[in-house]
Amino acid sequence: MEAPPVTVMPVTGGTINMMEYLLQGSVLDQALESLLHRLRGLCDNMEPETFTDHELVYLLKGQQGNPFILRARRSLSHPKSPWHLRYLGQPEVGDKSRHALVRNCVDVAASHSLPEFLNEMGFRMDHEFVANGHIFRKGAMKVVVSKLSRILVPGNTENTERLSLSYLVELSVSAPAGQDTVSEDMRSFAEQLKPLVHLEKIDPSKQRH
Amino acid sequence: MILSSSPSACSPAMQQREEKQLEAATESLISRVAHVKNALHSFIYKLENEYERLTWPSVLDNFALLSGQLNTINKLLKNEKTPSFRNQVIIPLLLSPDRDEDLAKLTEQRVPVFSHEIVPDYLRTKPDPEVEEQEKQLSVESARIGPEVAQKQIQALNKLCSNLLEKLNNPRDDRDSESASMRQNKPSFNPADTNALVGAVAFGKGLSKCRPPGPVAPGHPGQGPMMGGGPTLQQVTIGGGSGQQSAMGGPGAPQQQGQPGKMPSSIKTNIKSASGSMHPYNR
Repeated sequence: MEAPPVTVMPVTGGTINMMEYLLQGSVLDQALESLLHRLRGLCDNMEPETFTDHELVYLLKGQQGNPFILRARRSLSHPKSPWHLRYLGQPEVGDKSRHALVRNCVDVAASHSLPEFLNEMGFRMDHEFVANGHIFRKGAMKVVVSKLSRILVPGNTENTERLSLSYLVELSVSAPAGQDTVSEDMRSFAEQLKPLVHLEKIDPSKQRH
Repeated sequence: MILSSSPSACSPAMQQREEKQLEAATESLISRVAHVKNALHSFIYKLENEYERLTWPSVLDNFALLSGQLNTINKLLKNEKTPSFRNQVIIPLLLSPDRDEDLAKLTEQRVPVFSHEIVPDYLRTKPDPEVEEQEKQLSVESARIGPEVAQKQIQALNKLCSNLLEKLNNPRDDRDSESASMRQNKPSFNPADTNALVGAVAFGKGLSKCRPPGPVAPGHPGQGPMMGGGPTLQQVTIGGGSGQQSAMGGPGAPQQQGQPGKMPSSIKTNIKSASGSMHPYNR
């Protein structure tokens, strides 16, 4: 019997179709302090929050087409918290004037048996990394400044090696589909971070070799 | 009290015209001063009651408003149509220590009584005694230093002012290019890094389990021969059903052998990809 076709259509039904609006940039290590300072001033006043997460990316290869990708994330600083499973769709090819990358996004929490479950379902882990850094919030906007590290021995999160000398800066908003004012707000916020960081819409498909 | 103008040799018609001008000028002066008073009133209120929420730009706005209003008053006074107020003399005709309701209403309860106490303050024409003293000192000083020195000082001041004005009025491009070049010395982000990081997060560029053959930092403890569970994102296998040597073997080898004898260089094995024909349930 044939495996059921794996589609990459946005998951609908049951809940509101949430889209993730995303802008990305990076900042060198030496400029990190000034960026954190600026973010502390610009964003909502709360205790600076740091995080250490381990993310695993699972693939389900169908008979044809692109593989189905799921991202499983767990916190290394709060080991008892549930896992977080996320699906990100293809970026919407809307009008070019839209300032942020928009893609369908489904987020669920999962128990600690998630990796085995995904393996049983037929997913295979493609790659994993450790991200740690700071998270800031301004209203609905979330700014994450993270340092990515490569895991050298699979499954061993102690032994990591930095991917580059920069921190990844991501500005994201999770909102129902069709709200274009969101990208305007994101753009004006991104303006305030210049010239330290240039947050822009980076199309991942253009990054492939 | 009456307003009496100094006697001048003019016909009754001219006098009438002057009176009309005077009246008009006084009216507009009163209205302008009322504006200033209102602006001051609201500013003081803001300072006293809303000082927690007050921002520096809004304070500056208030000051700018007051300055503009004072400017218009000045312009009004300098206007040709305005008769010279200096020529007018105000003489109080009747002073009484009793409370005057009309006056109180006119002045919003600030001047309830038109008496001997308030006349020296409100009808003053000479400057305050302290100010008079300072003015006298200044004129003594200026007489002392002599005209040449004074002239030199005037010239120096003029030069400083014109220099400053020039700097301020110059096109902003000069200043911008300066600051831009200064900023370029210390770039705070590297676009190549941005792309690398985005690639890593989006599809694992540089993170694949089998070490990719890129300019990756060497010398870290290598992994043993990797037999990936299936074709990974980075190596696109050509359709299932044909066992082929996985591309992992090749690129991994040259780098592994560079390591200081850490692991067996047994990478050059034939690794069949675990797809296609190996699938137990395939038809």
